[in-house]
Amino acid sequence: MTDTEAKTQMPARDKVVLPKLGPLGMLRWAWRQLTSMKTALQLLLMLAVASVPGSLFPQRPANPAVVTQYILDNPATGPWLDRLQLFDVYSSVWFSAIYLLLFISLVGCVIPRARLHWKALRSAPPRTPRSLSRLPEYGTMTVAAESSLTVEQAVDDAAQILRRHGYRTRLHAGDTDHPSVAAERGYLKEAGNLVFHTALIGVLIAVAIGGMFGYRAQKLVIEEEGFTNAELGYDAFFPGTNFNPDSLSPFSITLDNFEVRFDRSLTNYGSPIDFRADMTVQNTPTDEPRQEVLRVNEPISFGGTNVYLIGNGYAPVVTVRDGDGNIALQGPVASLPTDATYNSTIVIKAPDARPFQLGFVGFFLPTAMVDEDGVAFGSDPDPMNPQLNLNSYYGDLGLDDGNPVSVYQLDTSGLTQLNGRDMPDGGIVLGAYQTYDLPEGKGSITFDGLKRYVALDVVFDPGKIGALVFTTLALLGLIFTLIIPRRRVWIRVGKHDDGRTMVEYGLLARGEDHGLSKEAVRIGSALTKHWKRTTTESRQEKS
Amino acid sequence: MKLLPFRRRRAAAAVVVLASLLLYGCTGTDPLAEAVNAGTSNYVAGDGSVTEYASAARGGTVKLTGKLFDGTTVTDTDWAGKVTVLNVWYAACAPCRAEAPDLAALHADFGPQDVQFYGINTRDEAPTSDAFGRTFGIKYPSIQDRDGKVLLSLTEYVPPQAVPTTLVLDKQGRVAARILGIAEKSTLKAIITDALDGQTPDNS
Repeated sequence: MTDTEAKTQMPARDKVVLPKLGPLGMLRWAWRQLTSMKTALQLLLMLAVASVPGSLFPQRPANPAVVTQYILDNPATGPWLDRLQLFDVYSSVWFSAIYLLLFISLVGCVIPRARLHWKALRSAPPRTPRSLSRLPEYGTMTVAAESSLTVEQAVDDAAQILRRHGYRTRLHAGDTDHPSVAAERGYLKEAGNLVFHTALIGVLIAVAIGGMFGYRAQKLVIEEEGFTNAELGYDAFFPGTNFNPDSLSPFSITLDNFEVRFDRSLTNYGSPIDFRADMTVQNTPTDEPRQEVLRVNEPISFGGTNVYLIGNGYAPVVTVRDGDGNIALQGPVASLPTDATYNSTIVIKAPDARPFQLGFVGFFLPTAMVDEDGVAFGSDPDPMNPQLNLNSYYGDLGLDDGNPVSVYQLDTSGLTQLNGRDMPDGGIVLGAYQTYDLPEGKGSITFDGLKRYVALDVVFDPGKIGALVFTTLALLGLIFTLIIPRRRVWIRVGKHDDGRTMVEYGLLARGEDHGLSKEAVRIGSALTKHWKRTTTESRQEKS
Repeated sequence: MKLLPFRRRRAAAAVVVLASLLLYGCTGTDPLAEAVNAGTSNYVAGDGSVTEYASAARGGTVKLTGKLFDGTTVTDTDWAGKVTVLNVWYAACAPCRAEAPDLAALHADFGPQDVQFYGINTRDEAPTSDAFGRTFGIKYPSIQDRDGKVLLSLTEYVPPQAVPTTLVLDKQGRVAARILGIAEKSTLKAIITDALDGQTPDNS
């Protein structure tokens, strides 16, 4: 029996007719899925997850050298990670796919809604419902017969009063015995909605433009030095996906002087009060140079490109002589501050020292003091007793094979240590204008002077103003949408056989509206007041 | 006419704000300090790409004035009728050190044939530059350009993109070719030879 049942059911299941979608239907279905809020949220989550590898693996746009090194260090996994574009996460096919879909999803979701709000904005108040008494707010009133108020006049009056209260009205007079007026207010809510939704699209486009055509660059500038806004001029350069080098405006900046003022009051002793960089800038090669002051949070602007002050430090000026007695290196070398007192690490490389290349690594202390154990430490951010504490090396600095190497790191793999703090003879301790002769006649190093440097962040975001304008518009639109109530009022007028005029009114709000009952009272009393006055007036005329 | 319920509208706003932040996050980058900690190379390295410009496609005459390390002023007006090779470099730049022997050799080969070489040094002071010259036997002078003024006048013609960059100017003083990154010896030699012959890639 079970067998027969199964047999009869099987074909029945086959006969289930699915609606045929066809290719067009499939597309429409796919579009609906894509533009649903659920999909947008899922895409957003995916975007967040997909950006995680970007912080796990070195990224090519930020630093190609590290990526090359990573692949060399991991010969098994490196090439595979590369094939999966994990070193170019933000421009990878899969990451782009997610954010493009998210973009389409949001636009596809927002445009139809904007269209709906546009229609709502232009719509006339809807017809008067048959039964006003079912509306959340309802009231009636009677105007005495002696007022000689006709129904048409009553409806006109009502419409006028409603218009005075900010309603859009529509009369349903016609040939009916019970003419009525339909009214609606709060169209600005729809306008707000429309602005909000279109501004959202604007925000998306502005952000995309910024990401595509903008760039960001960083540069360390020592006093009396400068740079040009060319990729060549920068220490690090991060272009947008569709960045065009021709869009770099050809300005140049020279750092004339950099001053840091430190607090000398006892409460905040040594904390910085003011950073001030005096710059000479030129908009184009042919423009007159002009003076500008750069401060933290007070960028210098060149058209759409802003230059920000993001860091600073000391650059001791050194001279390195080699074993042959020639000067191998002379000039300021930037040190990297490690704490608030500007105790800094420094790496000095003299690749042209002969017969051996020389390298130094150690600390720069602006105000050196010696503690009870004889160890030098920095005690003040101002250079009152500048001192260099260095270990020295000779050999191959690893620069000559053409592979990019960080200037802030000393690769000691091809080097032999000459002296250092951990060695019996101790390291190099150099006060201002002092010279230290290296062991074995390998050369010498002199501390000639001190300069300051600034770290600059140069940002060009062509979408920034658009993003600001559209975000502001979206917010304003949202505020209008949220605070402006959308209300409907209908007033119907009829004549009793005894000549009295019957007026009934009903109110309806869109969504939650705590002010609706107050509005009902306001409308009701406005109507009463109006007709009382006209009645009194007509009485006075009669008498 | 159905209005979007408030709750969903708020969700939409949140999505867009978050999405904008994330899209922003894609383009945003770490400050210099982090780049330093990550071991940045501290210069924008070129990819070795070579661009040659056909005679008709070349821009105007390069106009620049610079000071050599020895104090001599050089201007483009001294260059008439000569092929000029401009090489942007500094001593601690690893790719510059890699290509330096080739540049020195090419200078020795072409020097007698009305081809002049100039370095454009973006970072070093004179003694450091001299030490570099001693190391690689470089006989041609370099323009000191720590403030980037010479580079600025070159951006009008060809925007250079990386250190090292090598530009070859034809006899009319127009940019005939640009090499980003390490200049490969045979490539640069061919470009200089073409420029000397007055030939361009389209009619050679």
